[in-house]
Amino acid sequence: MKRLLALLMMTAGPSWADNHDHHMQHSHEGHVHETAVNGEALEVDSKRFDAFISDLSGVQIAVVSVNGMVCDFCARGIEKTFLKDSSVLKIDVDLNQGKVLVAYAQDVVVDFQDIERKILANGQNATGLQVVNL
Amino acid sequence: MGIKLLALVLCFGTLHADARPISYSGGTTLMAFTEASKDSIYLHYSPTYQYSIGVEGINDHFLNQRYSHLRLTYLVNRKNTARSQRNLYLQTGVNPADLANHFYGVNGDWETRRWFTGFGYKETKNSLEDYTDQYVQVGVAPYLGEFGDLHTWLMLKTKKSSLEDEWSTFPVLKFFKGNLLIEFGYHEKTEWDAHIMYRF
Repeated sequence: MKRLLALLMMTAGPSWADNHDHHMQHSHEGHVHETAVNGEALEVDSKRFDAFISDLSGVQIAVVSVNGMVCDFCARGIEKTFLKDSSVLKIDVDLNQGKVLVAYAQDVVVDFQDIERKILANGQNATGLQVVNL
Repeated sequence: MGIKLLALVLCFGTLHADARPISYSGGTTLMAFTEASKDSIYLHYSPTYQYSIGVEGINDHFLNQRYSHLRLTYLVNRKNTARSQRNLYLQTGVNPADLANHFYGVNGDWETRRWFTGFGYKETKNSLEDYTDQYVQVGVAPYLGEFGDLHTWLMLKTKKSSLEDEWSTFPVLKFFKGNLLIEFGYHEKTEWDAHIMYRF
């Protein structure tokens, strides 16, 4: 019985370590993008942000703070307006946080005034911008 | 049909017109509704987020006429905050074939993701009888959906027409998902009406 117990402990030990390493790796990945290019802490829902970037690489993400974005139906125009811009690769609207995530190619200059105009075309106000490089 | 019931169905008719009267810049919205007093199809275009122009085809059961209204809605004031939006609109419409048939009014709302309040006042002129409508509406979202989810609002609306003395109060259910919005109102006398809206 003691031998069996020792065997179980020996086999369980590496297994736990693997899981722990995997968890740390995932956690580390989750923290890589928590800082904007200017060094500020990124103000996003980290789960939503991770889901948004899950199929993206080599791009830059604009995190836009928006005032007045209180309903889905009212925010539809934001998605439509940004997707008309050929430099926009992907967009997500986070109603809870009042954020719009916009993915651009790395060679695109992210222009806050252009973003402000697009948000205002939908009747809301862009109040801040953070940019993350992936 | 008694005058009170007639007044009731008339005042009930503005349910549809006050929901999202202006779209995003360059957006087009198609609305259709049916109720006891009339059926309508309304198409409007918003050159900017500040106003919309449109045409509404109406089958008016009260006047027993079919006519159209050219409509204009103007956003007088909007206040956006991180958690709320407040709006004040002016709106007017006229039958191009009979300028005596027209309306004008004001409506406003304040909403957060959870709460909604709105009000409206409208004067309608026509060949049969002029009248005014006013309403107040409150609503709550029982849950806060994400972008793209099915969203639900439970609302209570109270209205009064100058054609009757009493305020009438009734529940309104609103659902929207994506570009589609559906709204139902119910009153024990007029029973169900329905409003459907699609934003292009």
